[in-house]
Amino acid sequence: MRQTTSHNLLKNHLWLIAPAALMVGIFFLYPLCFSLYSAITLDSGEFTLTHLNKAFELYSKDILFTIIIVLISVAILAVLSITIAALITLSPFRSLSKILGFLYRLPLFIPFIVTAQMMRSFLAKNGLMNNAFVASGLLTPMDTVSFLGWSGIIITFVWKQLAFSTLLISGAMAALDDSQIRAARNLGASRLRILFQIILPQITPTLGVAMVLSIVTMMSVLSVPLMIGTGSPTMMTADMAFRINSYGDYHVANALGLVSYCICAGLAWFYLRQNLKEKGAN
Amino acid sequence: MAHLHIKNLQAGYGKKLILDNINLTVEQGEMIALLGPSGCGKTTLLNALCGFVPVSHGEIFAGNRAVSQLPAEKRNITMVFQSYALWPHMTVAQNIGYGLKVQKAKRADIDARVAELLRIVKLDGLDHEKVTALSGGQRQRVALARALAIRPDVLVLDEPLSNLDAKVRLSVRHEIKALQKQLGFTSLIVTHDQEEALVMADRIAVLNQGKIEQIGTPEEIYHHPSTPFVADFMGAENHIEWPTHDDAFCLNLSNHADQLDIYFRSESAVLSAHPTSENADFNAGLTISGQVEQSVFFGNNYQISVRCGKHTIQVDHDQNLPEHTPATLRIPIDALHVFAKKEKHSDHQKTNIVSAKSMRMNHVC
Repeated sequence: MRQTTSHNLLKNHLWLIAPAALMVGIFFLYPLCFSLYSAITLDSGEFTLTHLNKAFELYSKDILFTIIIVLISVAILAVLSITIAALITLSPFRSLSKILGFLYRLPLFIPFIVTAQMMRSFLAKNGLMNNAFVASGLLTPMDTVSFLGWSGIIITFVWKQLAFSTLLISGAMAALDDSQIRAARNLGASRLRILFQIILPQITPTLGVAMVLSIVTMMSVLSVPLMIGTGSPTMMTADMAFRINSYGDYHVANALGLVSYCICAGLAWFYLRQNLKEKGAN
Repeated sequence: MAHLHIKNLQAGYGKKLILDNINLTVEQGEMIALLGPSGCGKTTLLNALCGFVPVSHGEIFAGNRAVSQLPAEKRNITMVFQSYALWPHMTVAQNIGYGLKVQKAKRADIDARVAELLRIVKLDGLDHEKVTALSGGQRQRVALARALAIRPDVLVLDEPLSNLDAKVRLSVRHEIKALQKQLGFTSLIVTHDQEEALVMADRIAVLNQGKIEQIGTPEEIYHHPSTPFVADFMGAENHIEWPTHDDAFCLNLSNHADQLDIYFRSESAVLSAHPTSENADFNAGLTISGQVEQSVFFGNNYQISVRCGKHTIQVDHDQNLPEHTPATLRIPIDALHVFAKKEKHSDHQKTNIVSAKSMRMNHVC
């Protein structure tokens, strides 16, 4: 009886979620499904793997380049975020922690395209960084090196995503009971040991979330490889833009999109599996 | 274990001074309870001992070592926290053995010590359990074992029983005391529960506003409080400022010209609902006449509120009494805590203790 009542209640109030569901359907599910469909069908609607074959044939180097760039970025990101969050949480110098706590958030409010433009004028051979070195007498104009290219892309990704991942990680660290850290300290543990043995094992799920979300973001950025990259090899988003802008070839662009989606899904699956394993162990 | 000596200690947060001129010695194997209301500085004192709050002045000696300027990890003073502070990603054995692992002890030694402590705190067989699977009482025992594992010079306990329910609290209280006697660790326990302090401690230090008001054995603190604050905090909740200029109060003490603060416990007062000549023979230090305002059932007795002029006196009684019943209260002279008010030039008043027993009897109404 009660079940029927709640069922009716649900039925009567289902329309309340309709606007949100409609938005998700129109602006997310439909484009996603259409993109997947387009990647594996001909114009006539027949199933084909030609587009995927072509995508791998032409852009396998770029796919590998994308994966390497993203993995290197995320590794550096993890190290830097943990370091900054640990300094904020564990540093005995409270004023330094406060300054750091303010500074690290700044990139959060700067869009990727602005970051890319900023980095372009900072990392170029005659950019702000090299000019500063030359002006200070540390380098001659002949010695300067351009960082535009794979290293520039990594620097930009890390700089931009650092705020987001540090925010998540330092939040998780701050949420830990302070007495857990104190208990370790009066048993003789150093701050570094506390970080690795007490704090990190407890914030691994948050670290995983921060890294997976950062990977998905980096995989989807177009402006950075276009503005910082040197053209070849480049990242998959640049290839997708190229296929559409130069050839109007939506099929191969969508096939690249499918590959990109699979890479993200694979990483997300790996993360979820680890997370479930840990929960099972608990 | 070593003795703990605190000398002229000052500590606080930033510019705010919380502890002022604290002097305290805890003998080897002794347990001292720091007792006081919320915000009196008792937890700050523990934090200063452990190195979590900087010491701005004074010195702390653990044994012969001066530790006040050492970082927390070098003091060899361990704490048992109110929130247990166990690490949820570790098993019971890993939690207990962590301090020894930090000291780079051998695996076999760690295992042996962990097994010994598990036996002592009666948690045998739970070594591979996750701490999240334990009850509150078990968690606190793991925390105690973890703090004792490295054989600290001093053990400090910060309200270790506050998070436990009433029944478990009694058993853990008993166990901590038994362990302290068995192992003889030097310890300081913080509590705001006077009963807990009386039962567990060898001596009690009562703190008020960052200063120690009185140190003594539980009996001394309970029966002979040295200040009005200690008397009030130790349960002498009835307070009368003498003279009352009210005929309902009759005091059998000398020194009646002085202004006095008089404290007594509700269980010390004898209530007579229908005063007779028999009762009048009672040799009371203080006699109060009034009428019953309220009667509340307390399980083994009733707590009666008796209205006497502007004062409301709480008294324990074995029978329920209806409102407005005339009542006479008699408080024996030994049960009165009397403090002489000392008038100062400034507005505030200081008090001097007056021994009620040493006073010459003098009838003043």
